[in-house]
Amino acid sequence: MLEHDLGLMAHLMRRAGFGATPDELDACLQRGYEQTVEDLLHPRDVSGAAGPGILEDEDIVRRYHVDQNSLMLIESSQANWLYRMINTRRPLEEKMALFWHGLFATAYGKLNHAKGVVNQTETFRRHGLGHFRTLLLEVARDPAMIFWLDNKDNHKDAPNENFGRELLELFSMGIGNYDESDVKACARAFTGWTIANAEYMSVRASRDSIWPHGRLDWQFVYHPHDHDHREKTFLGNTGPFNGEDVIDIICRHPATAQFVAGKLYNFFVADAPDEAAIDELAGEFTLTQGHIGSVMRKLFLSDFFRSEQVRFARVKSPAEIVAGTARLAGSHRTADWSIINLALDANYMGQEILNPPSVEGWHTGTEWVDTGALVERVNSASKDMGDLRQPGVRAIVERLKARGGTLSPAELVDSCLSLLGSLWVSGETRAQLVDYAAAQGDLTFDIGVIDSCPEQRVAELLQLIVASREYQLA
Amino acid sequence: MTTTAAVVYDHTIGFQANQGRGFNNPVDLALDSRGVLYVLNRGGPEMAVRLPYKRVTMCTLDEDYLGEFGTGGEAEGQFWWPSSLAFDPVGRLYLADEALQRISIFSGEGQFLGQWGEAGAREGQLDRPSSMVFDHEGNLLVTDSLNHRVQRFTAEGSFLSAWGDFGSGPGQFNMPWGIDIGPDGTIYVADWRNDRVQRFSADGSFLEQIGGPGQAEGQLNRPAGIAVCGLGNLHVADWGNERVQIFDPAGQVVAVLRGDSVPSKWAMDYFAANPDEARARGESDLEPSLKYRAFSPGQREREVSANTEKLFWGPTSVRLDDKGRIYVVDSLRHRVQIYRWQS
Repeated sequence: MLEHDLGLMAHLMRRAGFGATPDELDACLQRGYEQTVEDLLHPRDVSGAAGPGILEDEDIVRRYHVDQNSLMLIESSQANWLYRMINTRRPLEEKMALFWHGLFATAYGKLNHAKGVVNQTETFRRHGLGHFRTLLLEVARDPAMIFWLDNKDNHKDAPNENFGRELLELFSMGIGNYDESDVKACARAFTGWTIANAEYMSVRASRDSIWPHGRLDWQFVYHPHDHDHREKTFLGNTGPFNGEDVIDIICRHPATAQFVAGKLYNFFVADAPDEAAIDELAGEFTLTQGHIGSVMRKLFLSDFFRSEQVRFARVKSPAEIVAGTARLAGSHRTADWSIINLALDANYMGQEILNPPSVEGWHTGTEWVDTGALVERVNSASKDMGDLRQPGVRAIVERLKARGGTLSPAELVDSCLSLLGSLWVSGETRAQLVDYAAAQGDLTFDIGVIDSCPEQRVAELLQLIVASREYQLA
Repeated sequence: MTTTAAVVYDHTIGFQANQGRGFNNPVDLALDSRGVLYVLNRGGPEMAVRLPYKRVTMCTLDEDYLGEFGTGGEAEGQFWWPSSLAFDPVGRLYLADEALQRISIFSGEGQFLGQWGEAGAREGQLDRPSSMVFDHEGNLLVTDSLNHRVQRFTAEGSFLSAWGDFGSGPGQFNMPWGIDIGPDGTIYVADWRNDRVQRFSADGSFLEQIGGPGQAEGQLNRPAGIAVCGLGNLHVADWGNERVQIFDPAGQVVAVLRGDSVPSKWAMDYFAANPDEARARGESDLEPSLKYRAFSPGQREREVSANTEKLFWGPTSVRLDDKGRIYVVDSLRHRVQIYRWQS
């Protein structure tokens, strides 16, 4: 196996999912890069997983975590999603859900209804790799979104422009591609799109009422009597448009292809835009009538994605670092109560999943890392990677053991970096790691050779690696 | 929602409360000889500020709140993943803990009396004890769910016997949950992940299977708590199907309950104190259409329950009293729905 192939595959799995263990990378390499991309796009074909949004052991999670069954509390819901990120056999589906959650950012803080936001993420799992038109329509009908952007207050005789404006500005086209009259027409097209029992649900949300018997799910409802059926002019088109018509017009507009392509590039490829690459993705979007799965195939198979230039060029989000480390360490593979601590770790690092700071989502890139957040990231990652009881850590130790013989400090460092997903580190960092390993000399697992706790030495080195600057990058 | 005339809805006890009067994710209850209800609140998630949600609430059938005891923690008298309650023949209350792998014992007033249990897979050790029942000799039967077996202990925790291992054959288990004893001394076990209830002789020999995977009447989807009445009728909290099914001794379904709750007395107190919320509720359709909702495979009933307040949502336990009442612990709605057999 070439280290180059391993590096590329590990790059794919970090970006298209939450990283992969050495065993998973071996399996991917057996299938080859192109086939692995297809597996990610069509997970049911290879994993036998139950279906979109379903974990094989979902019932077990709900049995033991009663709070994750009702999903009433934000922390329970965050823990539940992290558990999915760690254990899913459909990593791209989950990563797309995280991507769309960042784009259609809807926050628990205003809703006081965690399951409402969770239900929205299920829409992302279900439609996240399908046609953008379908996804946009589902988002427009999503009760959490309707509540979040006040479309329940968007009436025939008193339009509320909040959803209409953000639909154009933040969800599909971006500023500069429409004017105020389009915003007004867009808002009018979505009048009458609301939730059932809007007043009662508003009263409950405003006082965070869980009484008498917990939350009640929200449902979309369309009130034709409250819809503005009059003619509208929207982006140069005129007609008695309803919401579906507006979404059709948006999805045909070239700015939408560029907008979505740019967002996908930024999330999956690099923080800094590459106009030629974004044009390529936008072309695929247009060619396939906005089929996101096709755009993602184009992206993963592109030269710009495979380029070494973009590897380790993105700062991991807190959710990525928390879930990715747990996947590597093999921790939280069954329902256990301590999963809540991972949710809290991500929160302390600055990413409260299901509760983004605003409709603009999170500011990503280097903004993830400040002094305090870095300490949290290092502490969280090194906690599990230094624990020899964790099956993923043990698997790395066993792989090193299976090599037999003696490992020099440099060999030990390079082997660990490779087993952690062909992790790249700078020359300076590598030298520091080798110096650290050298303090205790060569490492051997051979019986009869005196070595002070070789397994512990490996665990400590893994801890040091995940505490490095480079581990913060994907 | 109730498909039989033999069993009728009576009333509801409960109210969502993190402490004090009300429940928080109740998973089981026990009735003492005076008719006092002891409701076991599992709460969650397990973070410091939410640990007090875990407790045992004491109240009467008429919703008179009598008090509470216990809290989340690892110290003596505390619990982490409480799963089950059972009174022994002399009125001591046993509490199983699926995280700490131990059985704690309390007096009827909530005073901690002792504990036993040890984590592991060897004889007498526990890995997520999920449910308990005392047999006619005063020994305790425990479903040891991740060890996929039933174990019998003395009331003081000495190991007596065990049966079962992992599998789907007769006498094998996949994460068993509820357990009860019929009037003839036979033992019923909810074989949770095999979607069935198995019946055993008093010494653990396999006798028959009831149910099987599915959503049709008579089929089960992850059965949780069970209870057998004096006439031998088996009541099953059909957790994954969000319902309770009642089988007669011949294994025929005689009732299917989906939930019929109306607001409890405590709930009505809340509405009286919050008239604006009560008014908005009164003008609402509490069973709104799910026309636009898509469901992941196997999730429909759960989502219907999340939407419809009167229905069971995550029923974990069924208990009976000698007056023909059926107590369904409606876990995610923080209440107990009570039915009764018509005479």
